[in-house]
Amino acid sequence: MNSILSGVIQSFDMVALCVQGDGRFQLLGQATPWFNELFAGSAPPGALRLEGKSLFLDNFLVDAREHWGARKEGSLSSGPFLESGLGQGDHALEARALLVEGQCVLVIVNLGQSYEVNRKLLQAARQNLLNQEILELEVSKRTVAIRDRQLELAARLIYAAGFRDEETGAHIKRIGLYSGEIAAQLGWSPYAVDDIRTAAPMHDIGKIGIPDKILKKPGPLSASEFTIMKTHASIGGEILGASEVPMIQMAAEIASNHHECWNGRGYPRGLYGEHIPEAARIVAIVDVYDALVHERVYKPALPEEQALAIMAKSVGIQFDPRIFEVFLANIDTMRAIREEVKDEN
Amino acid sequence: MSAKPGLWCDSINGNDMLQKKICLLGAFSVGKTSLIRRFVNSMFDARYFTTVGVKVDKKVVTVSSEEVMLLIWDISGEDEFQRMSASYLRGAAGYVVVVDGTRPKSYNTALAVQQRAVNVLGDVPAVTAVNKVDLVDSWVFTREQEDNLKQKGSVLYTSAKTGENVEQLFEVLARAIL
Repeated sequence: MNSILSGVIQSFDMVALCVQGDGRFQLLGQATPWFNELFAGSAPPGALRLEGKSLFLDNFLVDAREHWGARKEGSLSSGPFLESGLGQGDHALEARALLVEGQCVLVIVNLGQSYEVNRKLLQAARQNLLNQEILELEVSKRTVAIRDRQLELAARLIYAAGFRDEETGAHIKRIGLYSGEIAAQLGWSPYAVDDIRTAAPMHDIGKIGIPDKILKKPGPLSASEFTIMKTHASIGGEILGASEVPMIQMAAEIASNHHECWNGRGYPRGLYGEHIPEAARIVAIVDVYDALVHERVYKPALPEEQALAIMAKSVGIQFDPRIFEVFLANIDTMRAIREEVKDEN
Repeated sequence: MSAKPGLWCDSINGNDMLQKKICLLGAFSVGKTSLIRRFVNSMFDARYFTTVGVKVDKKVVTVSSEEVMLLIWDISGEDEFQRMSASYLRGAAGYVVVVDGTRPKSYNTALAVQQRAVNVLGDVPAVTAVNKVDLVDSWVFTREQEDNLKQKGSVLYTSAKTGENVEQLFEVLARAIL
């Protein structure tokens, strides 16, 4: 065995050592200069002790002895490691433990140029990954910037509408937060949840197109006035419609459909059931909830229990029963939002 | 040879000195090798040279007037192509997990690597280095991620480039180990 192995060893930049009974190593073939420098020194070739020469090799020998002890087939590789010699630069090495005709053999290979070639290949691959990460990060930053701009525009639009509408800024903000919470509970994607949080506050944007004499009328509306008032839904849909921005598309759906009823008796189109966009079905519930539990110039705030009792009567008529159930299951969160975003006195 | 993991007595200059193995872990290109180079050789090279395999460096630190030789294992960073061999961690008395503040992916890798280190080493001291603090304007860390790292142990904001907190990083770990 030794002569065959010695021949192989001579043709590569490696050394092979046979494990002796006392745990020491015997060289098979010639030692190389780097091996002498790093591991052998002036020790006699028949009685080498490798332990203590290299921290990495010491660690690998634990695994190697286990490998030999288990009489496992194949070789166990240490993976590359770098050892500093006396001269300039590091030696890139790799150790392998194997059994040759029943003998425990340790081979230490000087990887030489192949190490550098492989390192450069890996570096190129990693550089590609880094470039990809940089690109992804840039896309993500720009997406956030675009979303921020959308949010700002939406906020300014809502602010403009607020000059004509009696609804408070706090109410508008709460509608977004309630809607986002329910959407999340319904399993919407985080992007869609973000969208409804921004889009829902625009549900009454169409009121901008309603004449002051109707919008700001202190008393009850006549039938014809109410007919005009109802057009705020379609006006809102028109203002926000035909956008390619998903959040604005959702805002248009909500503005157009938040007065549609589950039983088809709502307006403007009389849609029913799941024909009504889900976002609008969510907003329909939270808009009524928020209006009932807060004071307005024309009515006092109702206790929550009473408000929920009133709303419960509209389930299956005005409200989607499934979404109402989710709403009720998360009433604590709704209450927390109310606590957090209060009307200004 | 060793009384407990990471502890050896070695005769250097005629004195027995405590030796402790520590490992630097983390994603590729977060600056593990640069931190070691800054700590051991007081040098920095802005060019990126990926590490393949393992290189062990040594440096003596003084903790509470006791000298300790740190045996610092620089282990090749993790990526889609390479994973750290658990056997490299054997006997480590502690470890540093390095994160690149400018790269969100390195945070996820750090968490995964740290979990694997805990599985292998158990509850040994660990310090997180959020590296490249000289590029803090380009950091993408969220407050939540920072808090999460702090819950797992000491966090230091380091720069291998400027040397900021590099000495402290190794001292904090050495102190925790002792």
